[in-house]
Amino acid sequence: MTNASHEVAKGPHHASGAAPSALSAHSIVKRFPGVLANDSVDFDVLPGEVHTLLGENGAGKSTLAAMLCGLYQPDSGYITRNGERIALSSPRAGLHHGIAMVHQHFRLVERFTVAENVILGSRDLSYKLNRSELEDKVAAVADSYGLPIEPGATVGELSVGQRQRVEIVKALYQGAEILLLDEPTAVLVPAEVEKLFENVHAMTRAGKSIVFISHKLGEVVEISDRVTVLRNGRVTGHVSGRGAADTKELARLMVGRDIELTTQRASHATGHEVLQIRDLSLTVNGVSVLSDISFNVHAGEMVGIAGVAGNGQRELADTIAGLISPTSGSVAISGSLTTDRGPIHARELGLAYVPEDRLGMGLVPSMSILDNLLLTRDRHIVVDRTTVRPEAARLIEQFEIKANGPDHVARKLSGGNAQKVLLARELSGGRTATKLLVVCSPTRGLDVGAIETVRALLDDARSAGQAILLISEDLDEVMSLSDRIFVLYRGSVVYETPGESAQLSTVGAAMAGLQPEGKS
Amino acid sequence: MRSPIRIVFEQRSETPKRLSILVPLLSVVAALVVGALFLLATGYSPIETYSNMLSDGFTSSRGITDTLGLSTVLICTGISAAFAFQMNLYNIGGEGQLYLGMIGGAWAGLALGDRLPTFVMIPVVLLVGSLAGALWVLLPAFVRSRLGTSEIVTTLLLTYIAASLVKHFVYSPGSFFVTKNSAFPQGRLVPDSAALKGIGDTSLYPTFFLVILIAVVLFWVVKKTEYGYRIQVIADSPRAAHYAGINANRTTLSVMLISGALSGLGGAVLIVGPFGRLDPGIILLGYGYAGIVIAALARNNFSAIIISGILFAGLRSGGDKLQISTSTPIHIGVMLQGAILLFALGGEAFRRYHIHAVRTERATQ
Repeated sequence: MTNASHEVAKGPHHASGAAPSALSAHSIVKRFPGVLANDSVDFDVLPGEVHTLLGENGAGKSTLAAMLCGLYQPDSGYITRNGERIALSSPRAGLHHGIAMVHQHFRLVERFTVAENVILGSRDLSYKLNRSELEDKVAAVADSYGLPIEPGATVGELSVGQRQRVEIVKALYQGAEILLLDEPTAVLVPAEVEKLFENVHAMTRAGKSIVFISHKLGEVVEISDRVTVLRNGRVTGHVSGRGAADTKELARLMVGRDIELTTQRASHATGHEVLQIRDLSLTVNGVSVLSDISFNVHAGEMVGIAGVAGNGQRELADTIAGLISPTSGSVAISGSLTTDRGPIHARELGLAYVPEDRLGMGLVPSMSILDNLLLTRDRHIVVDRTTVRPEAARLIEQFEIKANGPDHVARKLSGGNAQKVLLARELSGGRTATKLLVVCSPTRGLDVGAIETVRALLDDARSAGQAILLISEDLDEVMSLSDRIFVLYRGSVVYETPGESAQLSTVGAAMAGLQPEGKS
Repeated sequence: MRSPIRIVFEQRSETPKRLSILVPLLSVVAALVVGALFLLATGYSPIETYSNMLSDGFTSSRGITDTLGLSTVLICTGISAAFAFQMNLYNIGGEGQLYLGMIGGAWAGLALGDRLPTFVMIPVVLLVGSLAGALWVLLPAFVRSRLGTSEIVTTLLLTYIAASLVKHFVYSPGSFFVTKNSAFPQGRLVPDSAALKGIGDTSLYPTFFLVILIAVVLFWVVKKTEYGYRIQVIADSPRAAHYAGINANRTTLSVMLISGALSGLGGAVLIVGPFGRLDPGIILLGYGYAGIVIAALARNNFSAIIISGILFAGLRSGGDKLQISTSTPIHIGVMLQGAILLFALGGEAFRRYHIHAVRTERATQ
């Protein structure tokens, strides 16, 4: 315990004086079957401050936030609001006490307008809605915090950043004094993150408290007045004072050891063209999803595709993998066309594909690791599991997959281990030796330790001469691994740069659709 | 002040093995309890009724053979339902496919029976009956696999058409299926070459062992073959199937057709066995619908269906005989069947969730 609990700054509570904290959790314990999600956690947030909950996936930060807003009830411990003990039996009770959560996955009705979404759930509405009056009220709330939104716009037509603003305005409209933001930057481009941070400051200036939940160290340092680090359900450290936190120190508190996520590039000259994409276009239901994409990936090279989710990345990967037929243009692997010939043909040419969606697409949740290894392989009429079993056991060992053996069901694996199973299958070759590896968001949702492993595996595959197409929303990842970077925006490649000389600001601007000069 | 005790449904990460046996077992017990209450309310003795059912259905030697005889068709419709259900295809028209199996089997028997020997005729009748059952599900299977039309609606509605078809073939004058010049419209008996003898002059026919064999083979197919592997992938995640290049449309079509064929086989089993003719009385018996309940109680496990099929057959045949031996209404057997389904479905909650009461700590203001 002495080793685990690290107090960087002593006495973080009530640092600003005697004012009671707006919201505090006292010795919260929450157990789920098989997991102690929160182990006597203390946490508090003062009026007008940003207090960050930092931790890896599964550290217990979302569980704590869920209890702070009334979604879950603690097994023991209690919560106080302005020093008084309160019982939060539901999110509505949370709202009653001025606590609201902005979830990572928005809970908005796409067909409704912004104003309609904001007032949804209010119980003091009259039988007949006066739309213009409501829209004015919503606009007034938004304006007072510098949140630009159009109350009459339909939510389905808004960008992700705008939708997030609607969620925040909704919380404020409902009278929230304390906002819990769950991984708010996960879906945003750099420019939108900046905008969000401005909004956060506007809210804290107005006396609101923000509980910021994140595992991204850089932004945590930037935005937080205080940081509480969680690991395995326990508080492992407090840091207070804006800018006082140091990313290295936070990483160590978060993971429990020193972490080095270094830049990795091709160490030797790249070989022949493995993937050739020519004038690829795809139109779905009259909407252009991909337009005129052409590029090559060479043996021993990693090409990164950056972009905000929903700009055609998934469709690009699926088209290369032979799951979708393009409207025009062609895809060739090692010189052979794959267009219109289906996924099995593409795999026979040496394709391996790690889709973004692990459980449900890349893996069959109810099947064992062993059966999942068979998914993309040649299966005989009577499935021969006995000869694959030793190989499954070997891969589990080699990829350090935490499982009870080849019969472990995929659904019961953690996110990181599920991803390792997927990578193990795709990297180990199936029908033929892997020549081209298409990976989508390979480290999304993984903890830092697993990210290190996965990145190393990709780097090894590159060194072994495989051509790799890395498609990821994590810009840091694309920037630190890729030999060349393309930015996908609304289905087009809008920017291209060598990985070594890539600038975060330029790539970020291209992702947001701002035309940079240097399109090559 | 509100009660501080709440019932909590906590999702299980893993279902204990014992529950997989305990829940169906308790469903049957609970259904018997409800049946007993019903019997008490209507003035019958539950103990007497149940002991009569037990001896008529399970313990007397006549009871055992009658039960196993009846279970032959019920296991057929049970595996028919389960084969489709395991891929989330809800073929609930096994009843209609069973009628078609009877029509097809009777037709084959009547049309070819005089010319061919028994060892050829029996397989032919069973095969034609199965094909007729498969044919009846062809349209629902096709529109389901191509257009995604709900097979629940199409298979159910086709059952009513199948029932009308049976009546048409029996009641329309000059029908191929009925005895000529008979005052009472009645299906013609198939020739002896297309009829099996009950084992030892009981109502248990050799087809029972064929059906058991089919259930065991299907169990093996699902667990061990590439075809079964594909079924499992599609059932769990169609997108993973697409990713792996598995043709879901074709598999959907074939699974539905096999399901229909199995119900059709159930109808043909009745032709070579106890019925021997196309009999409109089948419409009242609901053997096809019983298959749905049998599959649900066995949770689509083919080996468990053999047991639940025999159990249901015992309840049915024991219940039917009550009418004769006592004055208890015949419907007690059918009622128990319905109650078992309700409890088996409700029991799923216990398998999926850990249900327990907790005392919530109330915050003091």
